[in-house]
Amino acid sequence: MNNLSPPQAAHLTDIPDTVKVFVPAAARAAPSSTLGATAWIRKNMFSSVPSALLTILGIWIVYTVLNGFIGWAWTNAVWEASSRRDCLDKVGNAGACWPGVVVWIPNLIYGLYPKDEVWRINLAFALLIVWLIPLWLPKVNSKVAIGLSMVLLFPLFASYMFMGGEKGAIWTALIAVGLTGFLWTVLTAVTETLWGVPVLRLVARKFGATTAEAESRIGQVVLLALFGVALFIVFELDFVEVRTRVWGGLFLTMVISGFGIAVSLPAGIVLALGRRSKMPVISLLCTTFIELFRSVPLITILFMFNTMLPLFLPAGVEVNQLLRAIVAVCLFASAYMAEIVRGGLQAIPRGQYEAASAMGLGFWQSTALIIMPQALKIMIPNIVGNFIGLFKDTTLVSIIGLLDLLSMARAVGQDTRWIGLFIEPFFFITVIYFVFCFAMSQYSMNLEKRLNTGHKR
Amino acid sequence: MSAVEKAVRREPVIELIGLNKWFGAFHVLKDVNLRVYEGERIVVCGPSGSGKSTMIRCINQLEVNQEGTVIVGGRRFSKDEKANSDIRRDIGMVFQSFNLFPHLTILENCTFALTWVKQMPKDEAEALAMEFLKRVRIPEQARKYPMQLSGGQQQRVAIARALCMRPKIMLFDEPTASLDPEMINEVLATMIELAESGMTMVVVTHEMGFARKVADRVIFMDQGEIVEEAPPELFFARPQYDRTQLFLSQIL
Repeated sequence: MNNLSPPQAAHLTDIPDTVKVFVPAAARAAPSSTLGATAWIRKNMFSSVPSALLTILGIWIVYTVLNGFIGWAWTNAVWEASSRRDCLDKVGNAGACWPGVVVWIPNLIYGLYPKDEVWRINLAFALLIVWLIPLWLPKVNSKVAIGLSMVLLFPLFASYMFMGGEKGAIWTALIAVGLTGFLWTVLTAVTETLWGVPVLRLVARKFGATTAEAESRIGQVVLLALFGVALFIVFELDFVEVRTRVWGGLFLTMVISGFGIAVSLPAGIVLALGRRSKMPVISLLCTTFIELFRSVPLITILFMFNTMLPLFLPAGVEVNQLLRAIVAVCLFASAYMAEIVRGGLQAIPRGQYEAASAMGLGFWQSTALIIMPQALKIMIPNIVGNFIGLFKDTTLVSIIGLLDLLSMARAVGQDTRWIGLFIEPFFFITVIYFVFCFAMSQYSMNLEKRLNTGHKR
Repeated sequence: MSAVEKAVRREPVIELIGLNKWFGAFHVLKDVNLRVYEGERIVVCGPSGSGKSTMIRCINQLEVNQEGTVIVGGRRFSKDEKANSDIRRDIGMVFQSFNLFPHLTILENCTFALTWVKQMPKDEAEALAMEFLKRVRIPEQARKYPMQLSGGQQQRVAIARALCMRPKIMLFDEPTASLDPEMINEVLATMIELAESGMTMVVVTHEMGFARKVADRVIFMDQGEIVEEAPPELFFARPQYDRTQLFLSQIL
């Protein structure tokens, strides 16, 4: 039965003393006809007569379509004209009329945002990119904190940069908190790259802290000082108010989908855990929420929030229309995300929970440190797929009168000078959508590859 | 017999009293009583579905029994999950399917509970983990991920991971059942070394060679009950019940 004390192998002792030596055969090269580009083409495109015919047909179709498209978009296209009439006089319908799109590009990107204030949007997105850079720097260790601070704190001061206007005491403090997060991120990225220590600890050590406790105490003081600096900067800022009514274009699309993405993942995780909870009330609440919002089209939810919500609110209380749309999108996306997360959680074997709890970890510790990292890794394609869907779904807000990218593209053809110009702006925003969605998809593939350590064999 | 005689005089470290458990309507454990004394090595065997895994999983309350009491190290499991987690820290467990954390390296698997449960500083935890990885003879794999190791190596890591918490008791739930025959011995050898170091062990296994070699008592279970309980010499030479005889004749 087992090999520790084998008494049963008596008959094996009859084997003669001379033992043959086993020499494995050498590996040989694969036949050359199965390797290389010609072999690949022959195998995949011309393996039989029908296959060869289909290949030729396919090449012909691709050629015709591409040829026609390039003729329209490039060879016959008009690049300089003052109105659609001009274009039509020059080439008729044979070529694209790009000047209309070019003139409208600022509106396609920023909506009706005042031209003199557009720099605020650009600056905010530039700061966002600066905030993101540390996540790619190899020497930065505090990536989780930086990522979290970005998601939680960026909206605080970005919303002021976008909106401007009066800021009360609380509003000022919140903006300063956002800015503090930014300052902390930049400083931490610098100190961790140069000295391998986050900024708070570095300063604490400069002040002579030796214990972890002293470090965290001085760290808090440093953080408070950063907040002071931020507060000072925020006091100096005075932006003209830009009402959300004039926000539009790609900018609005990014604001709505950005909120949707940032809110839906954490909210989805909470909802999924709630649905799996053993506490019946919590489970019931989460399940009801998820099923309710998943069973209703996004458009209906947007309408509900846009037209019906004001009826329920007390008179005089008015919630900004953009905010209503954002809340609707977030709720909808969270419900979908919850089911994706639940799927990922179910894929984690029970043994992982058991091993964690056998070592004395509590529920939250094992969920946050053992289960979620594995589940999220499995879910990356689905999560990013959901983000991509969300990004495109924001086009629906055009129905409740918000001027997102799609609405702005439609507006080009209603401009008196460019009346009827629809194909070109739609083609332009198609490219924009493609670039964004394809980038997200590629990033997801890249992320999968990088995080693949656990499951590769 | 000497180990048992010695044990009688001591306090039990594991005590199962009147344990009853149902999966739905199915009665898995029927009035199970068991006392394990410090330093004792218990081997539990029995046909599949006999409740042996459920019983061992009740010892650290991965399975919750509906009736009866489980006392480990003088502390009784209750509804208080925080207190239960505290009791579990003294009980190491090794599973049939290893259950290493695939997203962490071997070393991180071992240091994980040390840093998160015992709040041990990172370098100290790593030094301790390396010590135990050396003991199971795979320190050179420390930076690899679980899926890059063979089954036998993974199971030895799982043993090292459990030992890092410095448990007073080790539970093994069919530790060699999902291993290739060539790898069973390396895991058994590690377990034998552990037994010889005086660790209190409860092992669910069909490796009767292991039972003969290290067990103080062998327990045979069938249909949710402890049928027979005897030192290995007696258990293998003169089983008292027909059911035990049938089982032994089938697996030996």
